[in-house]
Amino acid sequence: MEPRKRGFGYYAHIYKMILFQDIKSKMSYRADFIISTIGMLFTNIAGFVTFWILFLNFPDIRGWTYYEMLFLYGFAMLAMTPVQCFFDNNWNLNRSLYTGDFIKYCFRPVNLFFYFISEVFDIKGLGQLAFGLGTLIYAWNKLSLPLTPQNILALVIGVLSASLFMIALMNFAAAAGFWLLGATSVMIFMFKFKDYARYPVTIFNRAFRVIFTFLIPIGFMAYYPSLYFIRPYEVPLFTFLTPVFGIVFFYLSYLFWMKGARQYTGTGS
Amino acid sequence: MEPMIRMTNVNKEFKVVKRREGVRGSILDLFSREYHMLRAVNDVSLEIMPGEMVGYLGPNGAGKSTTIKMMTGILEPSAGEILVNGRVPYENRTRNAQDIGVVFGQRTQLWWALPVIESFKILKEIYQIPEKDYKDNLEYYDALVGAGGLYHKAVREMSLGQRTLCDILAAFLHNPSVVFMDEPTIGLDVSMKTKIRQLVSSLNEKKGTTVILTTHDMGDVDALCKRIVIIDKGTMIYDNDIKCLQQYFGAYRTVKVQFSKTVSDFGGDALEKQSKEVETWLAEKFPRAKSTVVSVEDDWIQILLNEEEVRMMKVINCIQDNRRIVDMNLQEITTESVIRKIYEGGVA
Repeated sequence: MEPRKRGFGYYAHIYKMILFQDIKSKMSYRADFIISTIGMLFTNIAGFVTFWILFLNFPDIRGWTYYEMLFLYGFAMLAMTPVQCFFDNNWNLNRSLYTGDFIKYCFRPVNLFFYFISEVFDIKGLGQLAFGLGTLIYAWNKLSLPLTPQNILALVIGVLSASLFMIALMNFAAAAGFWLLGATSVMIFMFKFKDYARYPVTIFNRAFRVIFTFLIPIGFMAYYPSLYFIRPYEVPLFTFLTPVFGIVFFYLSYLFWMKGARQYTGTGS
Repeated sequence: MEPMIRMTNVNKEFKVVKRREGVRGSILDLFSREYHMLRAVNDVSLEIMPGEMVGYLGPNGAGKSTTIKMMTGILEPSAGEILVNGRVPYENRTRNAQDIGVVFGQRTQLWWALPVIESFKILKEIYQIPEKDYKDNLEYYDALVGAGGLYHKAVREMSLGQRTLCDILAAFLHNPSVVFMDEPTIGLDVSMKTKIRQLVSSLNEKKGTTVILTTHDMGDVDALCKRIVIIDKGTMIYDNDIKCLQQYFGAYRTVKVQFSKTVSDFGGDALEKQSKEVETWLAEKFPRAKSTVVSVEDDWIQILLNEEEVRMMKVINCIQDNRRIVDMNLQEITTESVIRKIYEGGVA
């Protein structure tokens, strides 16, 4: 029997099934669910407190006010949600390569990247979503930004494209494991960069500005898209290309990941 | 009839770094590397017909996994041609995957946290299994091994045996033309092994699925395979009916004897001494019987001999002349010892 063509609808359907089942089974580990939610809460609160103490001592950083910085903070958190929720299995990639378990993903008639990534949904990311959204709305109010449909649409597009950068960054870092042993350290290194995404690129010196814009483009994860809302008069033109850059960067990371997977031959058995 | 799997002069080579020794060597390796080509599979040709169940054997590192990976489309052969169900597996991995099933003894492919039935439902969607086929299979599974009782248990809560069972059922769920099994009974207890073998045998018979079985367990081979293929150091050294294999070594017999005990026979290495004695007697009397091997097995002295070189009765008489035999046992050669002889270079 010839199977139907596997298009977007097919993948969306499979993903939905795996997702629902996964959430259902995660809920059944109540203790784990509660403890990890509390842990996530504390991590985020600690981040906020540091941020708040910083601004108790300095009224602004290079002309950036508390609420503007808070906007960036919230935006970066929102942009981090998809990578946390949907792409968390990248963290397990290196272990499964090391033990040879990765081979078991290679025998299904579906896209390998999709199949591997779909296995894990990290429900804790939803807490991050709530946190980020709360922060953003608060800052939005304090900055008295206009709430127009155009702005909301821009926000959604902005967050989605910004999240593509983070996903791509983690794809690159994880896929390094197809060539290196123990690429988890590469992932941890890359993951740390997300902390810099919360700050305006202009507060760094010239060298880092270039790096964060072109090499490890975390500037696109919060700073450039946020400018559109908080300082529309300062937006560099290429900011409007953020969605395009995001998609291209994500696609490149996908190609890199798949290239790695194809040359992977597994350990003997 | 067209063969299900056809391999023609297949080679696979890997580029391997030549590593130098010591700390100095590994530092040198960082800067300049020498490579050499390692031939994992060497000129293998093979035809497997639909519905056949073939045991694919060989010592560790012989090239079994590499061959299987080529048949499943994960590896591309360096030279030669592979066709599985009329398709080149490497060129369309996804399409080939629709037609095959894979079982690994200790690596489950089911979703760890989900009840089996949910895994099955997801597989139904992934493979786009028609509703009727899916229902028929579930019913058949239940009738065959009472699988219904396992369906609502999460995979991580299962014993290894139950998990293997479910993995096998999952591999046959989409009615693949070929199922590859890699040591399906590894780590299982005796009764579970039997159950798994019966299951595989029934599935093969009922569905006419071609099964390629790699294993180190000769019990699996004896119970399941009519035909075996043996590969060693990348080269195919045997491909024939399992019965022929025994005929191949048909002239071999195993004689087991026990002697009446005398005072000098008590002590830890008494049997070893006796077996040395037997070896000396036989070597003196039949110098031309080079294949004769004397060993100790449990409480027995075991003599493996080739009847073409020396008749079994003569050997027994010779031993009898030297010492009183209290118990004796004659055996046909087992598949296990035949395979061991082949691995150790018995054929060549």
